[in-house]
Amino acid sequence: MFRHKKSVLLFLLPGLAGLAAFYLVPFLGGVYYSLTDGTFQNRFVGIQNYVDIWHNEMFLLGLKNTLELSLLCAPFIWLFSFLLAVTLKSLGRRAGFFRNALLLPYLMPSSAMLLIWLLMFDYGGVVNRLFVAMGLDRVLWLEGSALRVPVVLLYVWKNLGFSVVIFAAALQTVPDAYYEYASLEGASAFQREVKITLPLMAPTSFLVFLLAWVNAFKIFKEVYFIGGAYPDQTVYTLQHFMNNKFTHLDYQDVTTAAYSFAIIVFILFGLMYSTRAVRAPSDA
Amino acid sequence: MTQQTLRPARAMKRHRRIRPGQAVAVVFLTLMAVLILLPIVFTFLYSFFPKSEMEAYLKLRGNYDATKWMDVLISPKVASVRQYYKILIEEPQYLKLFVNSVVYTAAILLGQAAVVPLMAYALSRFQFKGRDALFFVILMLMVLPFQVTMVPSVISLRFMGIMETPWAVILPMWFSPFYIFLIRQFMMGLPNELLEAGMMDGAGPLRCYLHVVIPVCRPILGAAVALSFADCWNMVEQPLVYLANRAGDQPLSVMFNQISIDGADVAFAGAALYILPALFVYFYFQEDILLGVTLSELK
Repeated sequence: MFRHKKSVLLFLLPGLAGLAAFYLVPFLGGVYYSLTDGTFQNRFVGIQNYVDIWHNEMFLLGLKNTLELSLLCAPFIWLFSFLLAVTLKSLGRRAGFFRNALLLPYLMPSSAMLLIWLLMFDYGGVVNRLFVAMGLDRVLWLEGSALRVPVVLLYVWKNLGFSVVIFAAALQTVPDAYYEYASLEGASAFQREVKITLPLMAPTSFLVFLLAWVNAFKIFKEVYFIGGAYPDQTVYTLQHFMNNKFTHLDYQDVTTAAYSFAIIVFILFGLMYSTRAVRAPSDA
Repeated sequence: MTQQTLRPARAMKRHRRIRPGQAVAVVFLTLMAVLILLPIVFTFLYSFFPKSEMEAYLKLRGNYDATKWMDVLISPKVASVRQYYKILIEEPQYLKLFVNSVVYTAAILLGQAAVVPLMAYALSRFQFKGRDALFFVILMLMVLPFQVTMVPSVISLRFMGIMETPWAVILPMWFSPFYIFLIRQFMMGLPNELLEAGMMDGAGPLRCYLHVVIPVCRPILGAAVALSFADCWNMVEQPLVYLANRAGDQPLSVMFNQISIDGADVAFAGAALYILPALFVYFYFQEDILLGVTLSELK
């Protein structure tokens, strides 16, 4: 650890300058836009913009869909990646191939998967074949609210592997002796997972869920690929709203919407963090 | 540390009997792997279908007749590489988009290489006033969704007058908070002795950075390169907003929508070509990603 080194400024400068220029300073500067009316006189209007945006139907629709879509993706990824990581661990050294196969889509451009996705979810496609084979009716996957299914699955397909890798890495750090001792004491496999793995995984779970959720807020390109720039209103996301406002150079609405969303995100994380803080002592 | 303590345990494991649950695990994982790999395999397979067959096949889409199915094509009557020829040589507009993607990705990765590890080094290995506050700000930026962080970027890009130029896509990405966080977490875990040894030999902070820290950080740097590559290669939101009126400057990832309508015959070949570099990057950096995540304080 270097102390009292002037040279630290040299290392910090490029990154700090960029962060300040592209994120921090305009973030604070943007507050000015969100509090003025954007006319020629640019009067100060207080929180009027915020009141307006919370009455804007398209904003509310985008916000609702973004939250709903992210809450479909994140818990699904979270739970599934945990199950997969535990399964991988049970295979020991033979898990390598499977783990690599699971991680592969994370590096793949989902844009290039668009066509095959459209084929799979076509009315006469493979997914409907499976449905009929299971005795269900065909579904119009590419229209209306059913569009959410291919969108969420494309997202999960791409992002699942990374969470699996983080979980798998964390599982490696649990000493095998814990499990062996528990077995000697007569704990069943299920008991071992619940009593040993779950508590030890709590911090990692929190991180994985947080990362999965933050990333799922970004869900837009999947919608854009499958539903286009003007999709059905069940998949109209906040990003669609912002894009639309940007094309009209409407800084007031854009900044107000962004800060409103930021406040919601911070409140959600604050809640998540405080519930974890309450539980933390019992882990030790 | 954990690697070493685990080794004896692992050696013991080999002598353990095969649990019955393992068979179930293999079946489950095989199913998952097949599900995950099939879309990629079929994209490559379909890229070799000749124009006539593929166009006829794609015309069957969007048909609401409940008595009809789309066949699952397995092999073309005549395999063809003509689509590749068309993309690569005959119609340069596809190649132009592909080159755009390459240029953006390369420019972003080069900038990140200069800025991000240096910042992570300062944040992890130096004691200075406001360090924790700065790290907290970076964490906050990291958890903010793109819809929020995009707004300040647009404001300053307009102010600088580089909106609607390729720089608008490239510059903000150089300071991506996630990669600063990722590498910083890894550097925090490096033992102090490593740097002390360097200082004993008379190396200053810069020499320590170049000759000690960077080589040791190889796994996480590789992981960061691979993850950042995946990000850039699949970029959609940024070019859509920052280059809204510059169709010719878009990366290929944004245009697949359009291509799947205009040029159905070449779409699969285009997709396969677009996947190929990502596959190379994945196989080259695969170990780094796994090792980087395992060794850093991510978990």
